[in-house]
Amino acid sequence: MKRLAIALVVVISACAGILGFTPAGPKAFPHRKHVLAGVPCTRCHANVAHDDGQTLHLPSEASCVECHTKPHDTRPCFACHVASAALGELVEARDHLRFDHARHAKADCVSCHIGISEGDERLRPPMATCFRCHAHDAARDARTCATCHRDLADSQTLPQSHLAHDGDWMREHGTRAASSGDSCQACHRDSFCAECHGVTVAVLPATAHFADPFAPSVHRAGFTARHALEARADPGKCTTCHQPERCAECHLARGVAGDGQRSPHPAGWVGLSASDNAHGRAARRDPTSCASCHDGAGQALCIGCHKVGAIGGSPHPAGWSSRVPLGALPCRLCHPIGSRP
Amino acid sequence: MKTLAATASVVGVLAAGARADPYALTANALATTASPAGLVTVSTHADPTSNVSVEAVMWTGGGGDLIGDRPGDVLVMVMRARTADGLASGKLGRFVAMLGALRPIQIDGAAARVRLPHRFAIETYGGVPVIPDLAASRAWDWVVGGRISREVGDAGSIGLAYLQQRDYGRLASEEVGVDGGAALGKRDDLAAALAYDVANPGLAEARITATHRRGDLKTELFATYRAASHILPATSLFTVLGDIPAELVGVTATWRAAPRLDVVADLAIRHADGSPIDGPAVAQPLALSSATDPVAGSTAPEAFVRAKLRLDDRGASALGCELRRDGVGAAGWTGASGSARIALSSAFAASTELELVVPDHDRGLGAVWPWGLVALSYNRGGWQAAAAVEASASPSDRRRIDALVQLGRTWSTR
Repeated sequence: MKRLAIALVVVISACAGILGFTPAGPKAFPHRKHVLAGVPCTRCHANVAHDDGQTLHLPSEASCVECHTKPHDTRPCFACHVASAALGELVEARDHLRFDHARHAKADCVSCHIGISEGDERLRPPMATCFRCHAHDAARDARTCATCHRDLADSQTLPQSHLAHDGDWMREHGTRAASSGDSCQACHRDSFCAECHGVTVAVLPATAHFADPFAPSVHRAGFTARHALEARADPGKCTTCHQPERCAECHLARGVAGDGQRSPHPAGWVGLSASDNAHGRAARRDPTSCASCHDGAGQALCIGCHKVGAIGGSPHPAGWSSRVPLGALPCRLCHPIGSRP
Repeated sequence: MKTLAATASVVGVLAAGARADPYALTANALATTASPAGLVTVSTHADPTSNVSVEAVMWTGGGGDLIGDRPGDVLVMVMRARTADGLASGKLGRFVAMLGALRPIQIDGAAARVRLPHRFAIETYGGVPVIPDLAASRAWDWVVGGRISREVGDAGSIGLAYLQQRDYGRLASEEVGVDGGAALGKRDDLAAALAYDVANPGLAEARITATHRRGDLKTELFATYRAASHILPATSLFTVLGDIPAELVGVTATWRAAPRLDVVADLAIRHADGSPIDGPAVAQPLALSSATDPVAGSTAPEAFVRAKLRLDDRGASALGCELRRDGVGAAGWTGASGSARIALSSAFAASTELELVVPDHDRGLGAVWPWGLVALSYNRGGWQAAAAVEASASPSDRRRIDALVQLGRTWSTR
C-alpha cells in the first residue's frame, strides 16, 4: 500500500504539468510587479477607454520597450508573457459581451479586475462582479440577456449555476429543461433542439459532427451495433425523440424488417398454442418495437386474431381498463359503436 | 422541390433584412459511403433587432437509405420576437415545441409566452405536427398545448402543462405534466418532471434529480420511470396491450480531479418490469435463436466511469476514456472506449475514437463488436473541412468500412 501511494505521488508529480497543477506554457504577466513599481494601468493599456469592438486592449510592443529598453529576448513580448487561455477569454469577451470601458472609467480598474495580480486567469472579471453595481434579478427573470450578452448561442460561455452542463447532462437535460425551458433558449437556438428532437432531421448529430469525438450525443461510436440492446433495456427511450416510423425506415432499407427476406422474428413467433407463442408477451414488453413496423394499417394484423370469439381472444391483460370512449380509435377496431365492452 | 425553393427565398429575404450583427449563413456538404450518401445543409440565422431573430435550417440530399425518396426537408424555420421588457415573447414557423414535463414535439405553428403579475407565466403553442414528408396532406392534424408556471424563490419554478394532439381529427395524445425545479441554496438543487397519459390513463414518464456540490465534487441522485405504451399515439392499437415500464435509480458523481482532468462516475439500478418470457426470444433484428428472454422482470446494475484530460488550457487537445456496463438481462453489454483529439496547428486537428462492446448474449452475431474512427479536420476563416474513415463489426455487418467527407463554409457579418 505504501509503495502504491509512493508510486501514485511520483506519477502525479511527473504529470503535474499535463494535469494542470503547474502552469505550462507562457508565464503569467507580472501585473503585481508593475503596480508595485508605480506603473498606472493606463500607461500600458493606453486606449482602454476606446472600445471599438476590435481591440483586446493588450499593450503594444512599443509600450513595453518604453521602459524595458533592453529586452531579454528578440521575440515579441506577448509570445511568452500571456497565457493562451486568457487570450481566448479576452476574444470571447470582445465578441460576445456588450461592454464599454469608457462608461466604467470612474471606477478603479482593480475594482472589477479583482485578483489581476495573481495571474492571467483573472484577466476577465467573473460575471458576479457585475452584480455588485448592476441589478441582475429582473434581467434574469425577463431573460433579457442581450442587454449585456451578444449572440450567446455562438459563444463558448457555459453556465456556472445549477444549470452547469456537467455529469451525465444528456440524461439530465430533459428534467432540467422541463422547469426552465425558456432559460435554455437564452443560449440555444431552435436548431439545437431540432438536431435530435426534430422528425425531419437528415442525419444523427454524431454523424454531422463526426470529427469531434467529444461532441455530446446519445448515438456516439458504435451505436448501430448496440442500439437494439439499449432499446430493449429501456423501451420507450427511443420514441422520446423518434417517431416509431423512424425504425421502420431504416429496417426496411437494410432488409431486416418483417417484409424483407430476413424476418426479425424467430421460428415459433406466432403459433396455435400458448407455449408456442412469444409475440404477445414480447409486444407487452416493448409495444413500441412492434409499432415501429406494424403501426398504422399494419396494426390491423392484430385484430385478425385478437377479438372476442376469435382464436387470439382479448388482447387486454388482466385488470386492464381505460377511459377512452369505445367510439375512438383504437377501441372501435374491435368494439364497433353500439357494441358492449 | 418547390417547397424547398420557396423556403430558401423566404430565408433569403429574412436574412437580407438583417443588418445588425450577428448574421450568418452556413452551407455544409456531407458525403459518406454509408447512408445518406450525399447531403447538403444550408442554415442561417440573424438578429435584425435585439428583439427579433430569425433562423432556418434545411437540407437536401440523395442516394441514401434513410433519406429514401425525400428530396429534402426543413428542420427549422422560425421567427422569434419579444417585447423589450421581456414580458411577452412568441415565435412562428417550424420548431420543436416544449412544455414543461411533456414530450417535445416538432410543429408548424406558433408559440407564445407571457409573464403575469405575482411571478406567474403562461406558455402556449398550437399547430400541425410535422411529419417527414413535404407532400403529405395534414388535414385535421393538430396539436395544442399550454403551461402555467410560477417562479419560486430566487431560482426555482413549478409548472402545470397540458397538450392534446389529434391525427385526422382523432385523439392521438392527451397528457398532463407537472414540473418543478429549485436551487436550494448555493450547493443543492432539485428538479422533477412527471407526465400523465390522459388518453390511455396511466403514468407515462417521471424523472427526479437532486444535486449536491462541494468543492470540485458534484453528486447527483436520480430516478426515472418510463412506460413505453404511453409514449405511443393513442390511436395505436399497441396502446391496449398494457403498461410495462422501465425504471432507473442511481447516483452520478462528477469530480474535477485536477485542473485539466474531469472524472464522471455513474452507478444505477435498472429494472425492466413484466414477467420473464419462457418462449422464443423477443423480436430482435436477426435474433434467430430460441433462447429465453430474461429482460422482462429483470433488475441489474448499470455503471460507467468516464475521464477527460485536456492537454492544454483551452482544451483544444484532449484525451478521453470510458468503461461502461449497461442493459438488463439478455440485453446487457459491457463496453470500453477511448478518444483523442490533437490540435496539430491552430487550424488542423486529428481525432480518433475506438469502442469495444461485448454483449452478454451474442446470439451467434459476434462476441465483440468493435468500432473505430480516424478523422482529420480543418477550421479557419469560415471554412470547415473534415475527412474520416470508420470501421466496425456489428450484428448486421461482419465487417464494414465507411468514409466520410465534410466541407462547410460560414459567411458572417462579424
